[in-house]
Amino acid sequence: MARDFAADIQDPIAGEIVTNVGVWVDKEVKPQASEFEHADQFPEPLLQGMSDMGLFGIKIPEQYGGLDLSFECYAGVCMELARGWMSLAGIINTHVLVGYAINEYGTQEQKDMYLPKFVKPDMRCALSITEPDAGSDAQAIKTTARRDGDDYVINGQKMWVTNGHRAGVYLVMTKTDTTAQPRHKGITAFLVPHETPGFIKGKKFEKLGYKGVETTELAFEDARVPATAVLGGNEGRGFQHIMSALEVGRINVAARGVGVAQAAFDDSIRYAQHREAFGVPIFQHQAQQIRLAEMIVKIRAARLLTLDAARKKDSGVRSDLDAGIAKLYATEIANECALDAMRIHGGVAYSKELPVERYYRDAPLMIIAEGTSDIQKTVIARNIVKEYPI
Amino acid sequence: MNIIVCVKQIPDPETPAASFKVDEAAKKVIPAQGIAPVVNPYDPQATEAALRLKDADGGGKITVISLGPDTARDAIKHALAMGADEGVLISDPAFASIDNFQTAAALAAAIEKVGDADLILMGRAAADWDMGVVPAGVGQILGLPVVTVAKGIEKDGDGLTVTRVLDDGFQTVKAPLPAIVSVSNEFGEPRYPQLRQIMMAAKKTVQVWSAADLGIDTGASVMPLEALYQPKVESNVEIIEGDTPEEKARNLAQKLRAAKLV
Repeated sequence: MARDFAADIQDPIAGEIVTNVGVWVDKEVKPQASEFEHADQFPEPLLQGMSDMGLFGIKIPEQYGGLDLSFECYAGVCMELARGWMSLAGIINTHVLVGYAINEYGTQEQKDMYLPKFVKPDMRCALSITEPDAGSDAQAIKTTARRDGDDYVINGQKMWVTNGHRAGVYLVMTKTDTTAQPRHKGITAFLVPHETPGFIKGKKFEKLGYKGVETTELAFEDARVPATAVLGGNEGRGFQHIMSALEVGRINVAARGVGVAQAAFDDSIRYAQHREAFGVPIFQHQAQQIRLAEMIVKIRAARLLTLDAARKKDSGVRSDLDAGIAKLYATEIANECALDAMRIHGGVAYSKELPVERYYRDAPLMIIAEGTSDIQKTVIARNIVKEYPI
Repeated sequence: MNIIVCVKQIPDPETPAASFKVDEAAKKVIPAQGIAPVVNPYDPQATEAALRLKDADGGGKITVISLGPDTARDAIKHALAMGADEGVLISDPAFASIDNFQTAAALAAAIEKVGDADLILMGRAAADWDMGVVPAGVGQILGLPVVTVAKGIEKDGDGLTVTRVLDDGFQTVKAPLPAIVSVSNEFGEPRYPQLRQIMMAAKKTVQVWSAADLGIDTGASVMPLEALYQPKVESNVEIIEGDTPEEKARNLAQKLRAAKLV
């Protein structure tokens, strides 16, 4: 029993899909998420369930065997996955994001090679941008790709790669021209198969949250890939391609924020009606009513902002402003709601007996990943000023 | 094998007790605010049984029938999304307050109108009223054998082998076809709808049949509802006094004996 989380989905079929995914989350994910999370164990059975439903093909075009569903539907699905466990929506994020980049910008050969395989999680994807000395300033990457005959030779180190050990193909941002100005014109994206000689999967990071899915280092030591591995076939377009794909990623992370915040609220409003203090359920205390009211207002706003950004993306226009607004707000309020859930639950939330501590540990990831909140603010400001020319 | 599955939309059984209200004057359950009705939890198992039998048989058609208001389409759509082929909604204002026997009559008429059914499957009971008599009622009207509370159903030549759940074990019976089988939760977990099937189900047209379409007159209720109310539960707490655990236990035993509980 829960609120109708699909109520704000405008497309009825998408609404039915989101409702069905929500049922699966309640029955299959919620009862075992904390066990997988505490063990930092990859949730293979849950991935199988997601695959059986067809979630991995959610954004792959029908001609390649996918479902080609809307971003609105995808956002709703990610909200529901994150309501159960944020990591599940993270696992599918890079998969969808790389599939989107290939479908939008890849050569026909690349689409034919990869997209049919992405419908199932047998070949999963990873996106590799960040480096030890290049995070928010993505154009400062030092990984290079040098042309050598019909091949490119890649050298460098990458960090914080989701799916880093289990992916079958990696979308890797490199510099093919280190002197180019502006810098982004020297950036090229490559599709690197996992078995490429010289491509090394490094250590898995221990993290505060976002567990169950591996986040790793990668290294390239004279890793040789054919020129056909360049996304879209042209040098110097990688930054635009990946930034465009990151709009999809920001919708995903915004949806994750909504899902985690909703889970925190759902647990809190139930607990507040059970737990008594000073002779009455704590819900009767005005302080808790105000806290819960503020939580649901924020969550509703974040949900609508995220679906709005997704629908903008569905319309085919650039949505970096809308995705940035949604991502900034939804992830910030996810942190606030997770902390509010701790306050409402009190001491028990600080233990691993309840999932509230998991929400509290998962939430900070989202204000950092896929562009920090500060980066979102600069993206928003730079876009909105264009609407106010003087 | 052509199979008909009867499904019902009911108030969510997970509705918290505090949200469950009845209108004693109208003798109706008041729908809980903000809590959508759901498919009767036993019915997806009946659909699952139909899908497995169809797969094992290598063909046929699964038709889903539901009797209820327009929202009962969602129960039909769920079965279609699981893989059923066609859906029929029996909906008519005349059916708004009918009893189990009238329900059985309407379902029987719809089953005959669909026609050519080898097997009719239902959940073992609807979780709202929990009476479990409709399968027997439909069987009586159609003159078909009825096997209840099935945990396993296999095609066996021209008939079925059905394993039933008993209070203290299991019972295996054979039944000729056509037959009616009610499916228990012990049958196993129903499959989750695949996204592609949800999309396909959304495009399928659900036929709507009225009482006139079925050529039936619901008539007077055979089992009219006399009263509907929520029991008032009163509880008291009494602290058993005593200076020692032994004395407290002795006092407790005396209280229980006085209350004729031991």
